[in-house]
Amino acid sequence: MNELVLALAVNGLVWGLIVALIALGLSIIFGLLDVINVAHGDFFMLGTVGGLVVATSTGSFWIALAIVPLIGLILGAVIERLVIRPTLRQASLTIVTTFGLSMIIQEVVRATYGAQPRRMAAPIDGTIPLFGINYEIYRIAAAAFAALFLIAFFLFLNRTKLGTWIRAVRHDPETATSLGIPVTLVTAFTFALGTAMALLGGVIAAPITTVDFRSGVDILPVCFMAVIIGGLGNLQGTVAAAIMLAVLEGVVTSFVDPTTARIASLVIMSVALLVRPHGLFAGATR
Amino acid sequence: MTGHAGKGPRMTGRITRRSFLNTALAGGAAYVTLARDMSAFAQAGPIIIGHHCELTGGFASWGYWHNKCALAATKLINEGGGIGGRKLELVTEDTESHPATGVRKLRSLVQRNNASFVTGSVHSGVMLASIPVATELKTVYFSTGEATEATSDKGTRYSFRTGTDTYGLAAAGAPWAYANLGKRWTIISPDYAWGHSHYKEHKAIIERLGGKVNDPIFVPLDAKDLVPYLSKIPQDTEVLFSVFFGALSVAFYTQAKSMGLEKTMKMYSVSGTIEAIAPADLKGAAEGVYIVENFPRMVKYKDDAFHRQFIKLIGTDDVDGRETDSNRVNAKSHSWQSYENLFALKKAIEASGWKTKKDDKAVIEALEGLQMENSIGFPQGSKILRKEDHSGMIDCYISRVENNELHVKKKVTKEELMAQLPPRVDLSKEAL
Repeated sequence: MNELVLALAVNGLVWGLIVALIALGLSIIFGLLDVINVAHGDFFMLGTVGGLVVATSTGSFWIALAIVPLIGLILGAVIERLVIRPTLRQASLTIVTTFGLSMIIQEVVRATYGAQPRRMAAPIDGTIPLFGINYEIYRIAAAAFAALFLIAFFLFLNRTKLGTWIRAVRHDPETATSLGIPVTLVTAFTFALGTAMALLGGVIAAPITTVDFRSGVDILPVCFMAVIIGGLGNLQGTVAAAIMLAVLEGVVTSFVDPTTARIASLVIMSVALLVRPHGLFAGATR
Repeated sequence: MTGHAGKGPRMTGRITRRSFLNTALAGGAAYVTLARDMSAFAQAGPIIIGHHCELTGGFASWGYWHNKCALAATKLINEGGGIGGRKLELVTEDTESHPATGVRKLRSLVQRNNASFVTGSVHSGVMLASIPVATELKTVYFSTGEATEATSDKGTRYSFRTGTDTYGLAAAGAPWAYANLGKRWTIISPDYAWGHSHYKEHKAIIERLGGKVNDPIFVPLDAKDLVPYLSKIPQDTEVLFSVFFGALSVAFYTQAKSMGLEKTMKMYSVSGTIEAIAPADLKGAAEGVYIVENFPRMVKYKDDAFHRQFIKLIGTDDVDGRETDSNRVNAKSHSWQSYENLFALKKAIEASGWKTKKDDKAVIEALEGLQMENSIGFPQGSKILRKEDHSGMIDCYISRVENNELHVKKKVTKEELMAQLPPRVDLSKEAL
């Protein structure tokens, strides 16, 4: 039992890092733009589909890993201009518009790519023994990619001029404008960056899960939980909460049945929110 | 003008008894003729059958094929003269793979589109939510899903199913799997009615045969990472029975393979787990899995003219059931029902002389115990719609994925199946 607890804790950490990458995209879009992006899960789905399409046509997963997030950047910029900008700073309206966007994305993928779920082969084969179970090497690699991108993101946000502009626009858009920061451009880039992170998470997760036009529907609630529990708009808090949620559910699963584990982790998080209604890490960074 | 009208003969003539009788008789004759013509026109009008189908949502990859099969059957029936000389008009509504929407769409089919019969959903949740509504609307409803309740304790005189259910699939496959694959079983399935129903039916058979069934592992429907659940499978498991559909199936095969489970236990499943998915598309992850099919994916295992004509009609190949002009794969073990149900209704309508909804009782009586012979109308094979529980008794096939193809290892005939499958209810005794 002890071995199983450790194995599931490690697996929770691995899966949590991947979820953190996706949730972070949602968090920057909400935290910096006040957009409640209900279509974020569908951007993840586009990452899985795009990853499979590019990997199949080029024969290389690594090319997909490089190209698909760039496509996500362009797609995000276009969507920001056409869909988000007309409703910017009106959080309730963004729910409606991104819900419509979500349906459109799903149906376009279903109508063009098809409804049949598909498998994407992992680029790294093999397993290693891990606390009594055979653990897929690719999962460890995927977690490492995710961790690497997370570190790169925070370095970008804190050490570059564009990152400083993003933080400045979030803090006070009017003052940022008066200081000559191109707020409209920064806003568009922020949304594009969040979109690209979801697509990147999709490419990384595709060999572990499934390529399917509805795969975004299931990932979205987990991402929202991480964003809320981490403290709305708190980027470091989102990452920590995503990892905590996955580890907690993994560990609880080793003691009780899966559904009870899901309920238990939700109850624990609900209690945590009752105690700290603005999230576990509220106020740390916004 | 007034004066001119006043000079007319009808205005000046008095109504006599003779003229009154003449007018009344002429009017009556005209009325009878018109009414007879209108009635004849009504009878010559189309027979409307509703199709309650999962075109979008979680079952969309199956619904595409149910729709295609129903359209192919409609075309064939109309080219052959329709039903009792009347055109068949198929009206399709999308349930969106959602029970509440499904119920709303069923009401729309019957109350707005005037569907006289409905061939229905493959989604167990939609199907079970729809049967009470179809019964309330006094409309014959064919379901195509597998939850056994549709033709047992939640079934009614109006609910029928030509395919198998969890009860039938357990009876068809579990004894063979127990004898040939192993005695100690673990069941992993989604945490909803379909999975629970499979667990209950299989556990009963395996324990009756003397085997051991470990505690089930029910996976939340929204799970993406299955490792926490797969790692709970006891290591003494000889047979891992998995019941998933769609995206969860792919996730299961992918992650089970990556953990090497197939090296220590036999993998056994039902057709729903690999419906609309070609083994080749799983890139080897399903290799070696045993699957109970209702209609062999490879034509060579039921190699006759009707099967070949059927796959030509719906445009698929003879190995994977893949669409000839796309990558889609037929959900063949289920979608045939949407095709054959229309022919079953045609047979019952013509045998009973049904004309309007008033004759529904005769159609229901004709469907109860309906014999269907292997033909282009029933390409899955000969079958009977059992009178007592309204369930189809059909041939089943236990296949194994070998070299990315589904090869049949054992055919379970409908007679063998019926011997294992006593009816649990007698719906035919319900009053209409």
